[in-house]
Amino acid sequence: MKLCICVKINPAMDKQYSISEAAKILNINVQTLRRWDKSGRFTAGRKPAGNIKHYFYSENDIEEFLSQDWRALLKIGAAWSFNSTPRDLPGRFYCPDKSIFKARLSRLEFDLKSHPDFNEIFSLIVAMAGEIGNNSFDHNLGNWPDVNGVFFAYIIKAGKVILADRGQGVLATLKQVKPDLADDAAALNTAFTEIISGRAPEKRGNGLKFVREVIVKNNFKLVFQSGAAILNLKKNDKLPRIKTSSNWLRGCWAIISF
Amino acid sequence: MIIFLKKFGLTLTSRDDGREALAAFQPSLAAVDANEAVEIDFNGVNTLSPSWGDEFFTPLLKMFGARLILVNAGNPSVQATLDLLEKIHGLKFNVKN
Repeated sequence: MKLCICVKINPAMDKQYSISEAAKILNINVQTLRRWDKSGRFTAGRKPAGNIKHYFYSENDIEEFLSQDWRALLKIGAAWSFNSTPRDLPGRFYCPDKSIFKARLSRLEFDLKSHPDFNEIFSLIVAMAGEIGNNSFDHNLGNWPDVNGVFFAYIIKAGKVILADRGQGVLATLKQVKPDLADDAAALNTAFTEIISGRAPEKRGNGLKFVREVIVKNNFKLVFQSGAAILNLKKNDKLPRIKTSSNWLRGCWAIISF
Repeated sequence: MIIFLKKFGLTLTSRDDGREALAAFQPSLAAVDANEAVEIDFNGVNTLSPSWGDEFFTPLLKMFGARLILVNAGNPSVQATLDLLEKIHGLKFNVKN
Protein backbone atom coordinates (compact mmCIF):
# COMPACT_ATOMS: atom_id res chain seq x y z
CA MET A 1 0.00 0.00 0.00
CA LYS A 2 1.36 3.39 -0.92
CA LEU A 3 0.59 6.16 1.53
CA CYS A 4 0.73 9.72 0.30
CA ILE A 5 0.79 12.52 2.82
CA CYS A 6 -0.13 15.85 1.26
CA VAL A 7 0.58 18.99 3.21
CA LYS A 8 -1.15 22.13 2.07
CA ILE A 9 0.84 25.21 2.94
CA ASN A 10 -1.22 28.04 4.28
CA PRO A 11 -0.18 30.99 2.06
CA ALA A 12 -0.45 33.33 5.04
CA MET A 13 2.20 31.27 6.85
CA ASP A 14 4.49 30.70 3.88
CA LYS A 15 6.65 33.81 3.89
CA GLN A 16 7.47 35.34 0.51
CA TYR A 17 10.83 36.83 -0.41
CA SER A 18 11.92 39.20 -3.15
CA ILE A 19 14.63 38.05 -5.53
CA SER A 20 17.30 39.98 -3.60
CA GLU A 21 16.16 38.53 -0.26
CA ALA A 22 16.12 35.01 -1.70
CA ALA A 23 19.60 35.54 -3.13
CA LYS A 24 20.86 36.52 0.34
CA ILE A 25 19.33 33.40 1.91
CA LEU A 26 20.95 31.23 -0.77
CA ASN A 27 24.28 33.09 -0.42
CA ILE A 28 24.43 33.89 -4.12
CA ASN A 29 24.05 37.08 -6.12
CA VAL A 30 20.83 38.22 -7.78
CA GLN A 31 22.22 37.63 -11.27
CA THR A 32 22.85 33.98 -10.46
CA LEU A 33 19.30 33.58 -9.16
CA ARG A 34 17.93 35.19 -12.34
CA ARG A 35 20.04 32.78 -14.36
CA TRP A 36 18.69 29.85 -12.36
CA ASP A 37 15.15 31.10 -13.01
CA LYS A 38 15.83 31.29 -16.75
CA SER A 39 17.47 27.88 -16.93
CA GLY A 40 14.75 26.26 -14.81
CA ARG A 41 17.14 25.26 -12.01
CA PHE A 42 15.07 27.31 -9.54
CA THR A 43 12.07 29.09 -10.98
CA ALA A 44 10.61 32.14 -9.26
CA GLY A 45 6.91 32.65 -8.62
CA ARG A 46 5.30 35.50 -10.54
CA LYS A 47 2.69 37.93 -9.27
CA PRO A 48 1.04 40.42 -11.61
CA ALA A 49 1.31 43.99 -10.35
CA GLY A 50 -0.30 46.33 -12.89
CA ASN A 51 1.53 45.98 -16.19
CA ILE A 52 4.54 44.26 -14.71
CA LYS A 53 5.15 41.01 -12.89
CA HIS A 54 6.83 40.72 -9.52
CA TYR A 55 9.18 37.80 -9.03
CA PHE A 56 9.05 36.13 -5.63
CA TYR A 57 10.24 33.03 -3.82
CA SER A 58 8.26 31.48 -0.98
CA GLU A 59 9.99 30.11 2.09
CA ASN A 60 8.66 26.66 1.28
CA ASP A 61 9.91 26.88 -2.32
CA ILE A 62 13.40 27.82 -1.07
CA GLU A 63 13.46 24.93 1.39
CA GLU A 64 12.16 22.48 -1.22
CA PHE A 65 14.79 23.66 -3.71
CA LEU A 66 17.56 23.24 -1.13
CA SER A 67 16.25 19.77 -0.27
CA GLN A 68 16.93 18.73 -3.88
CA ASP A 69 20.01 20.72 -4.88
CA TRP A 70 23.17 19.44 -3.20
CA ARG A 71 25.49 22.24 -4.35
CA ALA A 72 23.14 24.99 -3.17
CA LEU A 73 22.60 23.22 0.15
CA LEU A 74 26.33 22.81 0.66
CA LYS A 75 26.82 26.51 -0.01
CA ILE A 76 24.35 27.75 2.60
CA GLY A 77 25.62 25.19 5.12
CA ALA A 78 29.22 26.25 4.59
CA ALA A 79 28.33 29.94 4.78
CA TRP A 80 26.53 29.43 8.11
CA SER A 81 29.31 27.27 9.55
CA PHE A 82 32.44 29.08 8.35
CA ASN A 83 31.47 32.78 8.20
CA SER A 84 32.21 34.96 11.20
CA THR A 85 28.72 36.53 11.07
CA PRO A 86 26.29 33.90 9.83
CA ARG A 87 22.91 34.63 8.29
CA ASP A 88 19.88 32.77 9.61
CA LEU A 89 19.39 29.35 8.06
CA PRO A 90 16.09 28.31 6.47
CA GLY A 91 14.13 26.77 9.35
CA ARG A 92 13.95 23.28 7.85
CA PHE A 93 17.72 22.83 8.17
CA TYR A 94 18.30 24.47 11.54
CA CYS A 95 17.91 22.65 14.84
CA PRO A 96 18.19 25.23 17.64
CA ASP A 97 17.79 22.58 20.33
CA LYS A 98 18.03 18.87 20.94
CA SER A 99 14.32 18.13 20.75
CA ILE A 100 14.12 19.53 17.21
CA PHE A 101 17.23 17.59 16.24
CA LYS A 102 15.68 14.41 17.61
CA ALA A 103 12.50 14.91 15.60
CA ARG A 104 14.44 15.55 12.39
CA LEU A 105 16.66 12.55 13.00
CA SER A 106 13.52 10.43 13.17
CA ARG A 107 12.47 11.96 9.87
CA LEU A 108 15.81 10.99 8.31
CA GLU A 109 15.29 7.48 9.64
CA PHE A 110 11.82 7.30 8.12
CA ASP A 111 13.00 8.60 4.74
CA LEU A 112 15.98 6.23 4.58
CA LYS A 113 14.02 3.22 5.78
CA SER A 114 11.39 3.85 3.11
CA HIS A 115 14.04 3.84 0.38
CA PRO A 116 14.67 0.36 -1.08
CA ASP A 117 18.42 1.03 -1.51
CA PHE A 118 18.93 1.86 2.15
CA ASN A 119 16.54 -0.28 4.15
CA GLU A 120 19.38 -2.61 5.19
CA ILE A 121 21.83 0.08 6.28
CA PHE A 122 19.62 3.00 7.29
CA SER A 123 20.19 2.38 11.00
CA LEU A 124 23.95 2.86 10.65
CA ILE A 125 23.54 6.21 8.89
CA VAL A 126 21.01 7.39 11.48
CA ALA A 127 23.20 6.21 14.37
CA MET A 128 26.23 8.11 12.96
CA ALA A 129 24.19 11.28 12.40
CA GLY A 130 22.76 10.89 15.90
CA GLU A 131 26.19 10.61 17.49
CA ILE A 132 27.58 13.63 15.62
CA GLY A 133 24.51 15.83 16.20
CA ASN A 134 24.06 14.87 19.84
CA ASN A 135 27.78 15.52 20.42
CA SER A 136 27.22 19.10 19.26
CA PHE A 137 24.53 19.67 21.87
CA ASP A 138 26.17 17.68 24.68
CA HIS A 139 29.57 19.37 24.34
CA ASN A 140 28.26 22.92 23.98
CA LEU A 141 25.31 23.05 26.34
CA GLY A 142 25.39 26.48 27.99
CA ASN A 143 28.67 27.32 26.24
CA TRP A 144 27.74 28.12 22.63
CA PRO A 145 30.19 30.86 21.56
CA ASP A 146 27.64 32.67 19.35
CA VAL A 147 24.81 30.82 17.59
CA ASN A 148 23.47 27.75 19.34
CA GLY A 149 22.25 24.66 17.55
CA VAL A 150 23.02 22.53 14.55
CA PHE A 151 22.73 22.76 10.80
CA PHE A 152 21.30 19.38 9.80
CA ALA A 153 20.34 18.51 6.24
CA TYR A 154 20.30 15.54 3.90
CA ILE A 155 19.59 14.67 0.30
CA ILE A 156 18.96 10.97 -0.01
CA LYS A 157 19.20 10.84 -3.81
CA ALA A 158 22.66 12.46 -3.52
CA GLY A 159 23.59 10.07 -0.70
CA LYS A 160 24.62 12.88 1.66
CA VAL A 161 24.00 13.98 5.22
CA ILE A 162 25.53 17.24 6.53
CA LEU A 163 25.80 18.29 10.14
CA ALA A 164 27.54 21.38 11.44
CA ASP A 165 27.71 23.49 14.56
CA ARG A 166 29.25 26.78 15.67
CA GLY A 167 30.33 25.35 19.00
CA GLN A 168 33.68 25.23 20.73
CA GLY A 169 35.16 22.58 18.45
CA VAL A 170 36.89 19.30 19.17
CA LEU A 171 40.20 20.73 20.43
CA ALA A 172 38.60 22.95 23.10
CA THR A 173 36.32 20.12 24.21
CA LEU A 174 39.01 17.46 24.43
CA LYS A 175 41.51 19.76 26.12
CA GLN A 176 39.30 19.56 29.20
CA VAL A 177 40.30 15.90 29.59
CA LYS A 178 43.59 15.90 27.67
CA PRO A 179 45.26 19.29 28.26
CA ASP A 180 48.46 18.35 26.39
CA LEU A 181 46.72 18.17 22.98
CA ALA A 182 48.84 20.28 20.63
CA ASP A 183 46.47 21.31 17.86
CA ASP A 184 43.27 20.62 15.92
CA ALA A 185 44.81 17.70 14.03
CA ALA A 186 45.91 15.99 17.25
CA ALA A 187 42.45 16.57 18.70
CA LEU A 188 40.72 15.00 15.69
CA ASN A 189 43.10 12.06 15.78
CA THR A 190 42.30 11.51 19.46
CA ALA A 191 38.57 11.93 18.92
CA PHE A 192 38.47 9.33 16.16
CA THR A 193 41.07 6.82 17.31
CA GLU A 194 41.63 6.81 21.07
CA ILE A 195 39.20 5.35 23.55
CA ILE A 196 39.16 7.83 26.38
CA SER A 197 38.38 6.19 29.68
CA GLY A 198 38.47 7.37 33.27
CA ARG A 199 36.65 10.60 32.46
CA ALA A 200 34.21 10.31 35.34
CA PRO A 201 31.90 12.06 35.83
CA GLU A 202 32.30 12.95 32.16
CA LYS A 203 31.31 9.82 30.22
CA ARG A 204 30.93 11.31 26.77
CA GLY A 205 33.52 11.14 24.07
CA ASN A 206 33.41 7.85 22.19
CA GLY A 207 30.78 8.70 19.57
CA LEU A 208 33.30 9.59 16.89
CA LYS A 209 35.08 6.24 17.43
CA PHE A 210 31.75 4.63 16.63
CA VAL A 211 31.44 6.73 13.48
CA ARG A 212 34.92 5.62 12.42
CA GLU A 213 34.17 1.92 13.04
CA VAL A 214 30.99 2.14 10.97
CA ILE A 215 32.62 4.04 8.09
CA VAL A 216 35.60 1.68 7.70
CA LYS A 217 33.38 -1.42 7.72
CA ASN A 218 30.82 -0.14 5.23
CA ASN A 219 30.63 1.57 1.89
CA PHE A 220 30.46 5.06 3.43
CA LYS A 221 32.72 8.11 3.45
CA LEU A 222 33.21 10.86 5.98
CA VAL A 223 34.65 14.36 5.83
CA PHE A 224 34.94 15.96 9.26
CA GLN A 225 36.46 19.34 10.03
CA SER A 226 37.07 21.18 13.28
CA GLY A 227 39.39 24.19 13.53
CA ALA A 228 41.95 23.97 10.75
CA ALA A 229 42.05 20.17 10.67
CA ILE A 230 40.09 18.21 8.10
CA LEU A 231 39.71 14.45 8.31
CA ASN A 232 38.80 12.04 5.53
CA LEU A 233 37.76 8.47 6.10
CA LYS A 234 36.44 5.70 3.89
CA LYS A 235 35.89 1.95 3.82
CA ASN A 236 38.89 -0.16 4.85
CA ASP A 237 40.99 2.84 5.95
CA LYS A 238 43.31 1.73 8.74
CA LEU A 239 43.72 5.29 10.00
CA PRO A 240 41.93 8.55 9.18
CA ARG A 241 43.76 10.97 6.88
CA ILE A 242 44.04 14.36 8.57
CA LYS A 243 45.21 17.46 6.72
CA THR A 244 45.29 21.19 7.28
CA SER A 245 42.45 23.06 5.64
CA SER A 246 42.71 26.54 4.14
CA ASN A 247 39.36 27.39 5.79
CA TRP A 248 38.98 27.56 9.53
CA LEU A 249 35.89 27.06 11.63
CA ARG A 250 35.60 27.05 15.39
CA GLY A 251 32.91 24.36 15.57
CA CYS A 252 32.46 21.14 13.61
CA TRP A 253 31.49 20.30 10.06
CA ALA A 254 30.67 16.77 8.91
CA ILE A 255 29.52 15.22 5.64
CA ILE A 256 28.54 11.56 5.57
CA SER A 257 28.33 10.06 2.08
CA PHE A 258 26.51 6.78 1.51
CA MET B 1 12.28 -10.76 33.16
CA ILE B 2 12.02 -9.64 29.56
CA ILE B 3 12.55 -6.01 28.57
CA PHE B 4 11.11 -5.10 25.19
CA LEU B 5 13.39 -2.27 24.20
CA LYS B 6 10.96 -0.81 21.65
CA LYS B 7 8.82 0.31 24.59
CA PHE B 8 11.49 2.97 25.22
CA GLY B 9 11.35 4.21 21.63
CA LEU B 10 12.42 3.11 18.18
CA THR B 11 15.26 5.60 17.64
CA LEU B 12 17.57 5.31 20.61
CA THR B 13 20.46 7.69 20.13
CA SER B 14 20.99 10.24 22.90
CA ARG B 15 22.61 9.93 26.33
CA ASP B 16 19.78 11.83 28.01
CA ASP B 17 17.18 9.40 26.68
CA GLY B 18 19.28 6.35 27.63
CA ARG B 19 19.73 7.67 31.15
CA GLU B 20 16.02 8.41 31.43
CA ALA B 21 15.11 4.93 30.18
CA LEU B 22 17.29 3.28 32.82
CA ALA B 23 15.90 5.50 35.57
CA ALA B 24 12.35 4.68 34.51
CA PHE B 25 13.13 0.98 34.69
CA GLN B 26 14.89 0.99 38.07
CA PRO B 27 11.78 -0.02 40.10
CA SER B 28 11.27 -3.10 37.88
CA LEU B 29 14.96 -4.01 38.07
CA ALA B 30 14.84 -3.88 41.85
CA ALA B 31 12.31 -6.70 41.75
CA VAL B 32 14.60 -9.08 39.82
CA ASP B 33 15.47 -12.22 41.84
CA ALA B 34 19.07 -13.07 42.66
CA ASN B 35 19.34 -15.81 40.00
CA GLU B 36 16.83 -14.50 37.51
CA ALA B 37 17.93 -13.72 33.96
CA VAL B 38 17.18 -10.32 32.45
CA GLU B 39 16.44 -10.64 28.77
CA ILE B 40 16.52 -7.58 26.52
CA ASP B 41 14.63 -7.97 23.26
CA PHE B 42 15.69 -5.60 20.46
CA ASN B 43 12.87 -6.62 18.15
CA GLY B 44 11.28 -3.54 16.52
CA VAL B 45 14.07 -1.11 17.40
CA ASN B 46 15.06 0.91 14.32
CA THR B 47 18.30 2.56 15.43
CA LEU B 48 20.58 2.29 18.43
CA SER B 49 23.75 4.29 19.01
CA PRO B 50 26.48 4.02 21.67
CA SER B 51 25.47 7.15 23.61
CA TRP B 52 22.06 5.68 24.45
CA GLY B 53 23.50 2.19 24.79
CA ASP B 54 26.25 3.24 27.18
CA GLU B 55 23.76 4.81 29.58
CA PHE B 56 21.43 1.81 29.51
CA PHE B 57 23.34 -1.41 28.83
CA THR B 58 26.67 -0.73 30.54
CA PRO B 59 25.12 -0.33 34.03
CA LEU B 60 22.87 -3.36 33.40
CA LEU B 61 25.83 -5.49 32.35
CA LYS B 62 27.75 -4.45 35.43
CA MET B 63 24.68 -5.21 37.57
CA PHE B 64 23.67 -8.57 36.09
CA GLY B 65 26.77 -9.89 34.31
CA ALA B 66 26.04 -13.07 32.28
CA ARG B 67 22.43 -13.01 33.50
CA LEU B 68 21.87 -10.12 31.09
CA ILE B 69 20.85 -11.76 27.81
CA LEU B 70 20.36 -9.84 24.57
CA VAL B 71 18.01 -11.27 21.93
CA ASN B 72 17.03 -10.24 18.40
CA ALA B 73 20.16 -8.10 18.24
CA GLY B 74 20.70 -8.46 14.48
CA ASN B 75 20.05 -4.82 13.54
CA PRO B 76 23.36 -3.39 12.14
CA SER B 77 23.33 -0.38 14.46
CA VAL B 78 22.67 -2.64 17.46
CA GLN B 79 25.60 -4.89 16.53
CA ALA B 80 27.93 -1.94 15.92
CA THR B 81 26.91 -0.33 19.23
CA LEU B 82 27.42 -3.51 21.24
CA ASP B 83 30.84 -4.07 19.59
CA LEU B 84 32.00 -0.59 20.58
CA LEU B 85 30.68 -0.80 24.14
CA GLU B 86 32.49 -4.13 24.60
CA LYS B 87 35.69 -2.54 23.32
CA ILE B 88 35.41 0.57 25.49
CA HIS B 89 34.61 -1.19 28.72
CA GLY B 90 36.41 -4.50 28.16
CA LEU B 91 33.14 -6.34 28.77
CA LYS B 92 31.32 -9.06 26.86
CA PHE B 93 27.58 -9.11 26.24
CA ASN B 94 25.70 -12.40 26.32
CA VAL B 95 23.97 -12.28 22.92
CA LYS B 96 21.56 -15.09 22.06
CA ASN B 97 20.62 -15.49 18.39
